[in-house]
Amino acid sequence: MSKVTLEPQKWVERYADMMYRYTLVRVKDPEVAEELVQSAFFAALKSQNSFAGKSSEKTWLFGILKHKTMDHFRNSKKNISVDLTAEENLIHFDASGHMVSKPGNWNINPEEAAENSELARVLAKCLNGLPEKFHRVFVLKEIDGMSSEEICNEFDIKPTNLWVILHRARNQLKLCLETNWLKTK
Amino acid sequence: MFKGMMKVFKMSCEDVYPLISESRDHPLPLCGRLRLKMHLAICGLCETYQKQLEILCRIARSLGKDESKALAETDMSPKVKEKIQKWIKEKI
Repeated sequence: MSKVTLEPQKWVERYADMMYRYTLVRVKDPEVAEELVQSAFFAALKSQNSFAGKSSEKTWLFGILKHKTMDHFRNSKKNISVDLTAEENLIHFDASGHMVSKPGNWNINPEEAAENSELARVLAKCLNGLPEKFHRVFVLKEIDGMSSEEICNEFDIKPTNLWVILHRARNQLKLCLETNWLKTK
Repeated sequence: MFKGMMKVFKMSCEDVYPLISESRDHPLPLCGRLRLKMHLAICGLCETYQKQLEILCRIARSLGKDESKALAETDMSPKVKEKIQKWIKEKI
């Protein structure tokens, strides 16, 4: 197999928009997403010599971008706190603990849902409505597939707090999807 | 005895629904697993809720792929692209 060579002069044209969209799903602020892509390109250019040519140019650049995004999460995590003692009233129950309102009829199976770009577009918007810490934890767990243990270590939180954060994030996103997607069906 | 067992396993939707989410993040203890399973077998609303979480998480996973079309029409600002291109040109 021939060795892959880098073509930095074509990076922006080939990958900038793709990398920007990838980052925008993970960080809420478009300016931060631009900065991260920019710093990934700069880092890539500086470390061209470390490119072994075994992976594609795109895979290599995305690898650098993933590191930059994770560094961004690490550097800003200290400023983010969340109050988990506050009551959550997204789903309502009667006095005997039974659900009062019936969940909406989504009428789609998980395989179809994963291929549905309209649903993905709505979810991307809904993600922006999550509190910062819920957003990051959900992104790492469900979008990037990081293990619960790794996330607890990254954010220095207890597993029980992680489960509460994920439970609340999922409920908020589920209701947001129901509100914004089902009504357009 | 059967009634006694049912009492142990009986859980309301309010008790069960955090476990539905939690079961995605870690293996529940045996008792929790049994109680959840029994509740889901008789409660259509919680079963639907469980399916919806599965769908939500599948969509989220698809969103993470670099070829996701969710933000297909969202491009980086031309100004920033121009700035990066200029910088790269100077450095190579």
